Amino acid sequence: MSTFTSASNPAGTTTGTPTDGKNGTMNATTTEATRRPHLSGMTWLVWRQHRAGFWSILAAAALSVAWMVYQRGQLTDFLTGHGYPAKNLDEVGSAFQQYVDAFSFVALGLGVIPILLGVFLGAPLLAGDLENGTAKLVAAQSMSRTRWLATKLALAGLVVVVSTGVLSAVFGWWWNPVKSEVTVMDWMSSQAFNNTGPVPVALTLLSVFGGVAIGVVLRRTLMAMVVTFGFTVALQVVWSYSIESLGNAVTVTTNKGVMGENGSPSLPRGAYEIDYSFVTGSGDLVGFGTCSGSQTDAARQVCLDKADVVGYAVEYLPMSQMHGMQWFGASILFAVTAGVVAFLFFWGRKRLV
Amino acid sequence: MSDGMYAGKPALEAYGLGMRYRRGWALRDCSFRLPAGRICGLVGPNGAGKTTLLNIAAHVLEPTNGSISLFGEAPGSAESGRRTAFLAQEKPLFRRFTVAETLRLGRELNPGWDQRAAEDIIRAGNVPFEAKISTLSGGQRTRVAIALAFGKRPELLLLDEPMSDLDPVVRHEIMGILLAEAAEHGTTVLMSTHVLAELENVCDYLVVVSGGGVRLAGDVDELMSVHTMVTGVREGDGLPVALGHHTLVESRISGRQFTALIRPEGPVTGPWETDTPNMEELLLAYLRSPDAPPLVTPTAQVHGQGQAFGIGTVAA
Repeated sequence: MSTFTSASNPAGTTTGTPTDGKNGTMNATTTEATRRPHLSGMTWLVWRQHRAGFWSILAAAALSVAWMVYQRGQLTDFLTGHGYPAKNLDEVGSAFQQYVDAFSFVALGLGVIPILLGVFLGAPLLAGDLENGTAKLVAAQSMSRTRWLATKLALAGLVVVVSTGVLSAVFGWWWNPVKSEVTVMDWMSSQAFNNTGPVPVALTLLSVFGGVAIGVVLRRTLMAMVVTFGFTVALQVVWSYSIESLGNAVTVTTNKGVMGENGSPSLPRGAYEIDYSFVTGSGDLVGFGTCSGSQTDAARQVCLDKADVVGYAVEYLPMSQMHGMQWFGASILFAVTAGVVAFLFFWGRKRLV
Repeated sequence: MSDGMYAGKPALEAYGLGMRYRRGWALRDCSFRLPAGRICGLVGPNGAGKTTLLNIAAHVLEPTNGSISLFGEAPGSAESGRRTAFLAQEKPLFRRFTVAETLRLGRELNPGWDQRAAEDIIRAGNVPFEAKISTLSGGQRTRVAIALAFGKRPELLLLDEPMSDLDPVVRHEIMGILLAEAAEHGTTVLMSTHVLAELENVCDYLVVVSGGGVRLAGDVDELMSVHTMVTGVREGDGLPVALGHHTLVESRISGRQFTALIRPEGPVTGPWETDTPNMEELLLAYLRSPDAPPLVTPTAQVHGQGQAFGIGTVAA
């Protein structure tokens, strides 16, 4: 407590300054502040504890961004050389395949980020402290557990949002020149839909915070990682099944019969077909397979007439809905994430030691 | 022991504390009071509920029954959190932190942090500041954990088996630091142990828990003065009948001799040798006899506990 100990402080101490403990502390903090962003209190502790993980995530994201920027340069060079979009890509042949493959390759990598971060960042975030007792160490200090929990979630969330947000934006920017080319990536495919806009941020955030919650309940790192793996995979499956229902399907019908060549409806470019069926004169929909068992065209025509089929009815999602669907889906994921966070604070009040 | 010493505020008060785990009660109806400024040994056999009691005080566990108050506040309040330091039995530390970073943790998370006090404890053990915790020996780790607890400048220090993995020399030295720090700053210390030798010359207050309840609590000198060790020639199978009106804590018979620890209810007269017990004899007697009537001296009684001092209160 004494403030007159200047001489008794040998070198090699934490402060390293030849002043008393308290002032020395302040000096050291100021020196550090000039060198790097100033972290203090709980933020310092959480960043220090997880810095290896946080820096790895940010570095991996930066490398991926650099790779995508390079790939986009290659792509636009090719497209300019080819004369796109004046000249379409239909007869470009195998020369373009490598650019398509680059998308698939990167999209595959981006697609596993929610699972990876959920298992390796989310699950051990608090389970590690609960398992090896450091939660007790932190609880024994003067700051509240709620503060500790909030700082952990905030920093992990920040790293997740920054890295996935930047990756999503850059991936979307890379894809933009060829966005309308279904041959590159179908917008409703998980490659495109899950890796652009707010979706990767929302998916990863829920995977990570879900992993944190699993870790807090199980209190064992390894077990939490295994269960979180299952949870994140299940989340991906459920998500991929729900994507279609996020949009408002548009139905287009024709009345020129279904036998001719020009009877099928023209859909906007990039439209995602959900259902193809026949429409009758009274407006009812009948199955696409109606009369498919007929032996000859004439017999089939008789059958179709008997069923009063007058044309096609196609249900589809126009590409213009992509943005709205992504935000709608992401907002559902964000709401679930908020619920997980609320649970964490409720559960953590008593059991976070 | 003047009454003035007890007039001070209590550092810790436990009221009917009970804790039930799945396999049964670890602590049951445990009530006592620890006056501020005392160094109190918390003694009991393994599994007696010492760790449970300390964990409740440190807000790690929530009691099933009853309550505990630290300086009049509930554990877990901002106020009691700031004034109390807890050193858990396993002495958890971040293994990848250096010693200096571990002290910085204390500095960053505690407003009243005393960097010099913490550094002095580290330096006295020649522990390098830049060493990672994972490379330290058990004793060095304990020293860092103790430095972290002391640097917080607590008014109440809760220590769970603090010396268990230290060699006798370091144990002695750490005890010295503990006493010096506590004396200089008036820190109240509640320290659990089952090594009775640790307590002699260190503690001036005792709480003995056994079988989940308090068996003995109070000022050391006071506890010693109300007990008498009687040695003499046995009569027949048991103790001399003349000893019967005193409260018997424990008696042992070897050959023709008997030794008994009693709480005299009046003058002890007879053909026996009487002596004041030392702390170890006193503690051993109580630990060996779970059925002995408990004794909680007035300074260790919480409000409404109504046990008369000196009168052998029969375990209800």
